[in-house]
Amino acid sequence: MNRLLAIASNTFREAIRDRVLYSILFFAAGVLLLSVTVSEITIGDGEKVVRSIAQGAIRLFSSGIALFLGVGLVYKELERKTIYTIASKPIPRWLFLLGKYAGLMGVLAVELILLGALYTVVISLQQEFPPGAVFISWLMLYLELGLLTAWALLFSSYSSPTTATFFSLAVYVIGHLADDIALFGQNTANEMLQTLSQVLYWLLPNFELFNASEMAVHGMAIPSAHFFGALAYGLGYSTIVLVIAARVLSTRDFK
Amino acid sequence: MSTPPAIECTQLRKVYHSGFLRIPYVGLQGLNLEVRQGEIFGFVGPNGAGKTTTIKILMSLQSATEGHATLLGKDCRSPDSKSEVGFLPERPYFYEHLTAQELLFFYGRLFDLRGAELSKRVHELLERVDLKSSQKVPLRNFSKGMLQRAGIAQALINRPKLLVLDEPMSGLDPLGRTLVKDILLEEKKRGTTVFLSSHVLGDVELLADRVGILIDGRLHGCGTVQELVDSTMKHVDCAFRIPNELDLPGKQISHDGDLLQQRLAPEDVSEVLDRVRSAGGEVIQVVPARSSLEDVVAKEVLKSLRGDVP
Repeated sequence: MNRLLAIASNTFREAIRDRVLYSILFFAAGVLLLSVTVSEITIGDGEKVVRSIAQGAIRLFSSGIALFLGVGLVYKELERKTIYTIASKPIPRWLFLLGKYAGLMGVLAVELILLGALYTVVISLQQEFPPGAVFISWLMLYLELGLLTAWALLFSSYSSPTTATFFSLAVYVIGHLADDIALFGQNTANEMLQTLSQVLYWLLPNFELFNASEMAVHGMAIPSAHFFGALAYGLGYSTIVLVIAARVLSTRDFK
Repeated sequence: MSTPPAIECTQLRKVYHSGFLRIPYVGLQGLNLEVRQGEIFGFVGPNGAGKTTTIKILMSLQSATEGHATLLGKDCRSPDSKSEVGFLPERPYFYEHLTAQELLFFYGRLFDLRGAELSKRVHELLERVDLKSSQKVPLRNFSKGMLQRAGIAQALINRPKLLVLDEPMSGLDPLGRTLVKDILLEEKKRGTTVFLSSHVLGDVELLADRVGILIDGRLHGCGTVQELVDSTMKHVDCAFRIPNELDLPGKQISHDGDLLQQRLAPEDVSEVLDRVRSAGGEVIQVVPARSSLEDVVAKEVLKSLRGDVP
């Protein structure tokens, strides 16, 4: 446990000493604050639009940070050869990977807490204290970030950051269209396309399962079955992706 | 129970594949090597000989294509085999966001060290490698030599029984080199085995109890410096007082009156001494000119180029 924490805290420390993270956070905070002004120029329910934009900003920038940091997580260690002095210690490679993952999840937790706190303050001042569904939606977003980070880590363990970014982004976009892919398969008469859409639906993650922002924005309660379903799916799927990533990393030669 | 070797490689072979066509390149060709516990073992050879490949396999950074290796009796592929090993890679890279002190705490925790014990060890080592005054400086501001010293310190954090060092003198100024040499000799005194791969053959000659010469992925010689150097005696310089002219083999260095200085091949010495004596001459001096380790390695490389494989 001490070893896992050492790697995780080092990853955390490396990320929080990276100025790029602060730039993204600063930008996200700016968008959150500016969203308040939108209510002045919106026809209709301006308050709902503000909540929607602010929630969207949190989702977008959190996913951006998960992607940006996740794709370089292992590759940077290989490129800078810092892995030489880690892999040569009594550390199994899966533990190294898990430590990196835990460190990044720590960064994402802090980032989400900061942006969430800002959202809570802004919305409380302009409207009212957000309902519980908002906080649950952030927990679900955190599960989504966990899965996205696991995918980014998998790609990072065998390809360059550019390739890993491209693949992770593709998984992220397709994962948000999973329900549409399934619907497309149901509506098409072509058997091959039906099979393909089914395979894609079951193989790729369904990120929409974690999306409870709209419910939260509209003040609707999030059904517990939905939350626990997403929790089980997120934890299970992330574990599988991390196991594959560990397997890939453990068979790699470090040149 | 007998003590296992510090390092044992059995028929270690590594084949790399490069490019789209996966063209094979043999890095190690069935290396057999045994490093005894408590010795300083110099691992030398030209660039591309396979020294770093061997070290990478031992340190689990790469896997062997065939054969196997052990560290202190444990399969080198198991993480557990590293618990009593310290490693300094060639041109070490560290997390630049850390300070030297944070770096040592980090590596200490990877060995499950903690609390006062770790804190004491970190401060001891910072002092030992002369980085105490720079302990709070981020590594990104370190010079090459300072990084190398930080690297030596991290390799020693767990009080290893086996120290594997790849080019430890690289980037060090004369003072730094003396410091590292002193540390290695201290470690040897403590009973630590040191596996030292280096291009600086003078240092290896000075420090190593035994030396292995690796060329083209094969061991071309292994023994004490004395054994390797003796077995490749360069020539013998002799001085004779001779009454008459004598036609001797070898190269004449000087001939002043009846005093002759002659450079002989080692295998001719015995015959020439007999001839001088039987001609009524006097042997004044016989000085064998020993090769340096550098000569031995150069000779082995030439033999290898001629296709003379051990």
